[in-house]
This record gives sequence, structure tokens and C-alpha cells, in this order.
Amino acid sequence: MDLRQIWTLYRHEIRSALRERSILLTSIILPVVMYPTLLWVGFTGFYFLEGQAEAMNTRIGVSPVPEAHQALVDSLASDPRIEIREWSDNEQAAAMEIARGRLEALVESMPPGEGGGALDGNRTIRILYTEVREGSRSARNRIEQVTDAHGAQWIAELRRDLGVSDTVWADYAVVMTDQATAEDVTRFLLAMIVPLLTLIMVALAAFYPAIDATAGERERGTWETLMTVAAPRSNVATAKYLYVAPFGAVGGLLNLAALALSIQWILSPMTNGVGEEISQGGFPLSAIPVIVAGTALLGLFVAAGMLVFAVFARDFKEGQSMITPFYIVILMPALFLQSPNLEFSTGLAAVPIVNVALLLRGAILGDIPFLSGLVTLLSMGVAVIAAVALAQFVMRREEVLLGTGQGGLWDFLTRTLRRGRNGA
Amino acid sequence: MTDPFVQTRNLTKTFYEESRGEVRAVDGVDLTCSSGEIFGLLGANGAGKTTTLRMLSTVLRPTSGEAWVMGHEVRKDPERVRGNLGFYSASTALYPKITARETLRFFAQVNRFPRERIESRIEDLIDRFGIRDFADSRVEKLSSGMKQKVSIARTVAHDPPVLIFDEPTVALDVLNAIELRQIIAALRDEGKAILFSTHIMSEAEQLCDRIAIIHQGRILAVGTLDELREATGHHYLEEIFVHFARVRDPEEAELESLRRDRP
Repeated sequence: MDLRQIWTLYRHEIRSALRERSILLTSIILPVVMYPTLLWVGFTGFYFLEGQAEAMNTRIGVSPVPEAHQALVDSLASDPRIEIREWSDNEQAAAMEIARGRLEALVESMPPGEGGGALDGNRTIRILYTEVREGSRSARNRIEQVTDAHGAQWIAELRRDLGVSDTVWADYAVVMTDQATAEDVTRFLLAMIVPLLTLIMVALAAFYPAIDATAGERERGTWETLMTVAAPRSNVATAKYLYVAPFGAVGGLLNLAALALSIQWILSPMTNGVGEEISQGGFPLSAIPVIVAGTALLGLFVAAGMLVFAVFARDFKEGQSMITPFYIVILMPALFLQSPNLEFSTGLAAVPIVNVALLLRGAILGDIPFLSGLVTLLSMGVAVIAAVALAQFVMRREEVLLGTGQGGLWDFLTRTLRRGRNGA
Repeated sequence: MTDPFVQTRNLTKTFYEESRGEVRAVDGVDLTCSSGEIFGLLGANGAGKTTTLRMLSTVLRPTSGEAWVMGHEVRKDPERVRGNLGFYSASTALYPKITARETLRFFAQVNRFPRERIESRIEDLIDRFGIRDFADSRVEKLSSGMKQKVSIARTVAHDPPVLIFDEPTVALDVLNAIELRQIIAALRDEGKAILFSTHIMSEAEQLCDRIAIIHQGRILAVGTLDELREATGHHYLEEIFVHFARVRDPEEAELESLRRDRP
């Protein structure tokens, strides 16, 4: 293996790639700016809509209530955001008004249902609203705040009238205590999303370089030029691989870094420090080397896999359609992670991609069984070597070199096996 | 007599196509090309010219037969074969995102031209092919004439003794085609062995020292233009070509003869 020649070929590939706008955009710029942009746009939009809803006046119809509950109506009326309309018509008419957006909700006071009414004055308060309109949902929330307060007040008065002391009343209570700290919850959430995002971004970052290095050469007409240089095909394949693999790994890491910084700098100020808590507690420093190593392993494997698929394509369009199934397949393991009970067992550590996803999850949760980590390294190492060897084998084949073979990898393998069986 | 730079013996290439079954694209080709010679492969489209040249450049692997470039066999030592030749065709494009100078440097380096001489070689090529004004422009910004100059310069960047030009003028305008022919003739005068394929008779007449007429994968005749004229009694290469093609297809020749004899 002539390392100097591989270096020449590699520099040539990378120089061309770094001057290609679409590659820079999808592999470097997109991972870096995506999270800041998404978070900023998302939260700005959310707060804007929330602010609009907050400032909006709510028109509420109120049907007549008994004198004992007049305080409820008074409380509603005292809220400056609520506009009370006395409602004497039937319920269907109110539903129609709500559907048309002329009324946000209707408050009705009805006799208690079956089993109720043990005490005088007990009532059922019904709120008629529609979930499909933001204004109506907002009205429900505002009414609920008032009815809850009124209900609590009503019960407290009844208790006093019945002579039930606060101590007796509070004798039976259920108190929930969540053992998980905010940091634990944050880690748990990050452990769910980081492996998936890493997989997506590594694959996305390697996607265009893999097509560019193969189908792109054919489309530009430079493939045959390259095939006539005095370099073994394996050197050409190795240089192409060395070009694609770091793009995947670096793209994935840039994306994670952008995610962490976005949470701290954008999410935190907008959410009164929640983001700061996430960024400080969710990414333990000890996880960083594992995340870097895991992302690099993913980059190495995904690049080889994508090259194997893309090398059969004759142009960019065909390259995209040939790589897409592989892209989808490698994202499937992320589904495994949706079950928090899934153990990072030695068996699962032998399954490529799944093992790295679990490794990343374990790194964030601070729980990586040593044997599973070791098996992951071995398994991914074998998978990477096999994928690179397959890429080199495929690139040496005449039908692939000339782009004369029909179909993609599957057709090629079928034909090769058939020829092997026939002894051709 | 010195050994030929390029030699083939019974070179054959068979493809398998779903619709046509086994197709013999090149059938037992024997040829030689020596230093200071332009050897023309003249044939219609699909005659087997490109397949022959692709086997010589090791892009394709021969089904049977042998071929040597500077004494290196194409199947046994493909890297050395490629190191000793420059391949130029309409399908060997340039990298659009790198400059002309970077293109020359890359091809010199990757083809193992001595490192210490690469920069002076690049300067020589830039002067020789009139590239200086656009040497640092990206290839994508160049006109087709400029690209052609860079493309020829990259073909000879590593100073190979053998050059292959596969239908090089096919996409060029008249002036660029004339300029290219002049460059090829100059390279021949420097002692390069040049294999030149074309289906344009006048081009072969003007440029080639020896011409092989290739038809349906077989070489039907080889010789200088004068030798071919003498062998056929025809003056123009077009007539010579048709003569040999008919000999190859006797049934077609007979039908043609009948048509001609009909009153």
C-alpha cells in the first residue's frame, strides 16, 4: 500500500469536496446551524403565539347559577381577560357559537349527578369548549383556574360548617416523591434523543460526500480519468473512504456540539435557566470521550456502507435513491432505544449500529458495562473492516468501474454469486 | 529494430448482455506501436476501438490474449502499465473544482512523476500548452478550448512514453480539432508512441503513420496509407475502408455487387 499515493488521492478528493457548496452545506454548515436556528425559531414562534393568546380577550357565556355560587361568576368577571356574556339559550346554540369562533366557552352550573348532592348547594360545573381552537383551549384554562379556586373555597366553607378540623381533613393524603433529580431526568431525556440525532447527523453528513465520491465522479465524467491513473484500485477506494468517513464523524460531532451550545445559549435564556441545567447536568464530562469514539465508529461504518451502495449509481439522482434504503436501515436501531428497559447486554453489543446507539446512551446515563463496551469496539471494528473490504472488492469489478452493470448492490451480489456457482 | 512500446497478441474481449447473449467486442487483435509512431485505429462506431484501447489502459480486463505496454502485461502489472501511458478521450473529463495548475500537479503526483521535478514540469506544461493565463482558474470557469489544453497537459503530465487518444476530436470544433492534431503530431516527434482511434477518415489520413482498419472487433488490415492503397487499388481511405469491410462481410459484398450489376 503506497501511503503517499493514498495521501495524494485523499487531498485531491477533499480539496474538490471543500469547494463544493452542496457538500459543505449538508455536511458542515447544516449540522452547525440547524439546532441554533431550530431552537431559536421554535421558541420565538412558541412565545409569540403564547403571547398573542395571553393578550386575547376570552368571551365566555355563563348560564344562570344559584345564588350560593354567584361568587364563581364574580370571580370570572373580575379577570380583565374574560368577557362575560349571560347565556340563556340552549347548549346546542352555544356549541354552534363556539364552533364559529364567536364564543370561546360556556360555563353551566348543573345539579350534581348521580351519587352527588349529599349536601345542599353541591353543583356540577360544566365547561363547554372545543379542543381544536386555540382561543377555546385558552378559555378553558382560564375558567379552570377560577373554578378550582372557587371549589376549594366552597369545600373549605362546608368543612368549617360541618365542624371538620384541618387536621382531620388532612389525615389521609397521598404524596408523590420523585426520586430522580432534575439532572437525572435531563440525562434520561438526552440518552433517548442523542443516539438518534447522532445517527441521523452522521448519516446525513456522509450522504453527499459518498455520492460525490462515486456517482458524482461518473456524472462529471472524471471516473474514467481516475481509473487510468497509475494507482491500484484499492488505493483509490481507500482515499475515497478516507474522504467520506471523517465527513460523517465530524458532521455528527459538530451537530452534537451545536446541540449542547444551542441548549445553553439559546434555550437557557428563553426558559429561565432550564437549558443551563440541561447543558450542565445532562452531558457529564466523562461521556464526551465515549461520545466522540462512538460517533467516529459510526462515521467509519456508515461511510463504507454508503460507498458500497453509491458506487453502482451513474448519477447523483441514482446515488440518492440507492443510498436511501441504507440510510433508513441504519436509523432503525434508534427505535430500540425507545424502550428504557433495554439492557446494553453483550448480545446487543455485537450488533453493529445498535451497539453504538446503546453505547452513547450508556455514556450519558453513566452506565456502560465493560464487556459490552469491549464487544461493541470489536463488533464495529469487524463491521468496518468488512464494509471497507466489500467497498474495495466492488470498486475493482469491471462492471462497476464502467457502470455497465444493471441495478445496485443486491443485483451485483446476486450476479456474482450466480457466476461463482456456474464456475464462470 | 527496437521493441515496440505497445504490443497485443490475440487480444479478445467478450461481454455478456441479457438481450444479445455473448458479444465479442474485440476478437483476436494483434497490433504494435513503436516510439515516434502514431498508430491509427480506424473503424465505425461500435467496431471495438474503444474496447481495445480500454484494455490497453487496463480499464477493462481482456477475456483472452495478451497486451504489453513498455514490456508490462496489462493483467499482471496494471499499475505499471498505467504509469507508462496517458489516456485521453471524450469521456475523460477534468475535475471542475480544482485549478488547471492543481490538475497538473495531481496527475503528475498520482502517476509517480519524480517529486523534485514536479513543479518545473508543471511550469513547462503551462508554457508549452499556453495555459499560463488561466493556470490558477478553476476548470469549471474555462472555455472548452482551454479545457482541452489542460486535458492534454494532464494526459502528458507524468511524461509517459505511450499516449492513447480515443476519438479525441469528437466533441471539438474545427479549430480546436486542428490544434489538437498539431499537438499530437508534435508529441509523436518527441518520440512518444501514440495510439489514435477515430472514425473520421481524413483525420487518420493526415495524422497516422500506420492505420489498422477495425471492423466488428477484428483488425482487417494494417499498414501505411500507401500500403493500404497498393493492397486495395483505392486512393481514398474511405474507399479502402469500405473495401475491407466488404471482404469481411462477403454476403453483403455480393448483394452490393448484384445491385451494381443490375441494369
